[in-house]
Amino acid sequence: MLVWASVGLSACSPTSSGTTTENIRIHWARDPENLDPLRVDNPSSFEVTNLLHCSLLRGNEAMLDIVPWLAESAPVTRLLGDSLQFVTYRLRPEATWDNGSPILAQDVAFTLKVMNAPGLPIERSQATFGFIRDIQLDKQDPRRFTLVCAGQSADRAKISGDFSILPEYALDPQGSLRSVSLPAIGKSGTQPAVQKFVQRYAALDLARHPERLPGCGPYTLKSWQPGRYLTLRRKAHWWADTLPTPPAELQAFPSQLTYQVIPDAATATLALRRGELDVYAMMPATQFSRLQQSASDKEKLRFYTADSYEFLTVNFNVRRPMLRDALTRQALSHLLNVPALIKATQQGVATPSVGLISPRIKAYYHDSLPLLTFSPTQATTLLGRAKWQRQPDGSWQRPGTGNTPERLQLTISYRAGEPSFETVALQFRSAAAALGIPVQLVAAEQSRLSQQLRAGQFDLAIRNLAGNPFSYDFTPLLHSQGIGVGNMTGFSSPLTDQLIEEIVVATDPAQKARLLRKFQLVMAYERPFTVLYFSKYRIAASRRLGELPVTGLMPGYEAHRIQLPTEASLQ
Amino acid sequence: MKARTAWRYLGRPIVAAWLVVSILFLLTRAVSNNTSFIQATLEADSRLQLAEREQLTQQLLHRSGLDRPLFYVSFHPITGWQWQGIHNQYHAWASRLLHADLGLSYRSQNPVSELLVEALRYTLPLTVLAALLSLGLGLGVATGLHLTSPPRRTAVLTALQALQAAPLFLIATGLLLLFANPDFLDWFPSFGLGTEEETTAWWQLPGRQLYYLALPVFSLVLVSTPPLIIQLDGALQQELQQLYVVTARAKGASQRQVIWRHALRNAFLPTLTLLSELLPNLVAGAVVVEVLFALPGMGRLLAEAAATQDHPVLLGGVVLIVVTRVVAQLLADGAYRLADPRIRL
Repeated sequence: MLVWASVGLSACSPTSSGTTTENIRIHWARDPENLDPLRVDNPSSFEVTNLLHCSLLRGNEAMLDIVPWLAESAPVTRLLGDSLQFVTYRLRPEATWDNGSPILAQDVAFTLKVMNAPGLPIERSQATFGFIRDIQLDKQDPRRFTLVCAGQSADRAKISGDFSILPEYALDPQGSLRSVSLPAIGKSGTQPAVQKFVQRYAALDLARHPERLPGCGPYTLKSWQPGRYLTLRRKAHWWADTLPTPPAELQAFPSQLTYQVIPDAATATLALRRGELDVYAMMPATQFSRLQQSASDKEKLRFYTADSYEFLTVNFNVRRPMLRDALTRQALSHLLNVPALIKATQQGVATPSVGLISPRIKAYYHDSLPLLTFSPTQATTLLGRAKWQRQPDGSWQRPGTGNTPERLQLTISYRAGEPSFETVALQFRSAAAALGIPVQLVAAEQSRLSQQLRAGQFDLAIRNLAGNPFSYDFTPLLHSQGIGVGNMTGFSSPLTDQLIEEIVVATDPAQKARLLRKFQLVMAYERPFTVLYFSKYRIAASRRLGELPVTGLMPGYEAHRIQLPTEASLQ
Repeated sequence: MKARTAWRYLGRPIVAAWLVVSILFLLTRAVSNNTSFIQATLEADSRLQLAEREQLTQQLLHRSGLDRPLFYVSFHPITGWQWQGIHNQYHAWASRLLHADLGLSYRSQNPVSELLVEALRYTLPLTVLAALLSLGLGLGVATGLHLTSPPRRTAVLTALQALQAAPLFLIATGLLLLFANPDFLDWFPSFGLGTEEETTAWWQLPGRQLYYLALPVFSLVLVSTPPLIIQLDGALQQELQQLYVVTARAKGASQRQVIWRHALRNAFLPTLTLLSELLPNLVAGAVVVEVLFALPGMGRLLAEAAATQDHPVLLGGVVLIVVTRVVAQLLADGAYRLADPRIRL
């Protein structure tokens, strides 16, 4: 029957212009769902938004810094009093909208006003950029403006340029918001002009119809079938094309990009092997390794890995009496066999680290600290120093509060359905059992686990954490203010709180490096969590593409810089 | 009499359906943490400061109406039972539901009804096609088995029972690896329904859709047909031993005539029960097939909603399935009476 269907229907099979060489097909595991540039909240929508729109600044991994994008140069900052700073930008003179009109400071002011307009479901943007209190336009230069920002950290200055600039000419051609100042707009719910604008903006339904909003990025939306695919077409005339030597941020080579939504990894791998996909990023380790070993696939595909800023950790709940001292946490860390776990869960492709700074960031990574070793002997010694005593039945006890002895028995929680987490838990349980420490595995569904972590209802927990090379603010993760919000371990100390606060405001690279190294040193002793390894993004791509520009930032590649090999390069 | 009939056929199922979705609403909200779906998104955003994160969580809870009490009454061990008034989550949800408003998705903020309609656009062609093929194949094979030799019938039934034991995931993956594999038979596409760029003439569109749906449909047919055949075969076997069949044969009817004209109608009665399950299953979609073949249908929508605690979508889907089930049961009752007028329900 299948043979019949195939023979009968092959006559009706599509003429595959979707596979033209100009079209680059990229795998997505998830649909963007929402493409309103002020409401993006998942990696797919971030990726598309950055191709349709431009912001003032953008992260550049090669430079490990935020670099100008729509802005002509890095912003100039000036502190005001003890709580404000001025951040001055100038827009690139070449930057224009699709209708040819220049992108001006007035567009930035308009974007900030939209972002603060009451009644729109953009609370997240409002919370993220709420520290931008006002904008001052330069009367002499229509491209220059100054943002008045609350807070004086360098991170705030960088974040102040991280939102898509919207076209005033398209959304508010009458300029109805010009008469309302930025500080006033949040309180101006009753002003008819603002109310009318909010209604107009909401009626556009940009979340589902991004084509109604012309952006200043290199691509426009060609088609979008939610849950299936999304196609972007390169603008024939994009403003950055006039630049003689555009920086990496302003390069856009593919004439068409099609993102195919395929949730299942096995199907996506098959599609890549069949030539129905060109790029598959974030590939599971086993599939990636299998393809690398296949002679036929090696002929068709190229394989890349990129050091990411995501790392796997085992967290200790320091609120538990048995885990309150650093020596016990150190001892238990020595029961984690990191090299074996990298081999078992990542097919050997991951980078061990001494702490939460990626070894890739050489300026800040504390390379003098030793990597964690698997050593039950060392664990036994450290347990002894933490006053744990081995009992005749093989278990461990120490005097607790009152007359009740403390017994060393643990649970280890992790997200259910994640094989690498389960492998870590099993390895730890096995090593702990050999020492006489009973460990119970607790696999929980994601939301349930998050709830337990926030409530401090765990002993040990396995978590994936993510950082980036641009910001070093550990307040949510390790500061006393973050306990119960992002600081799940409950760990804090006056020393680490102070270090975290100093790192945030440090602007001198040498001073920052010194503080970060000291912070890693303290963390290596305290061990509220143990970093097992930094993951690598695994990307497989068709050989019909040129060298794929890979990056350690999500999604692992730079779609706008993918180039097809020219005939000359092939020769 | 009419009022009682109306209550029996319409009132009772509607009350049952309302109770089911109400209990589901209360259970999902009561046992899950309202802030989980928000926190999961915000935790990954390093740009948000702690104070802003807390405030934002409250704002998002307020927008979703999750900062209100769950029900009209609440119980606290210290204060006991307390009346919460009508400004509660259940009242708001029920009022919207009575106006056919299923609310907004937590994840995408799109109207749930739009998401369901969109998903049904993909699910119904898939499941209806699979159901029709299964029914046709089931009838053909079950009746054909009684026209063939006993050893062959036994062999076919054994094979069908083996097939019935195989899970859908295994069958769908097997078909994918057999018929969409560059190393074996590269006959069918591995996912989706193609893109708009794949230009085809209007008369080619049905063929194109069938080409893309072939493997998902066959996966469903291979899973749903064996129980249908086995059930129908057993019922036919029983009917063929009845006296009216002997009479028919004595009057000179061939085996084929006996089966199709006399036995099949009676044998079909137990199968109607199976078919009454068909309609809600058609609407609910097939999670495994939709995920594996990357089809954005109802099954995938509901599975993703469950995984991400998108309760409005999940409840909207359940409401639709419950309503369809009620309708399917009413239709099944009618079908029983048509198949055998002696039946009084």
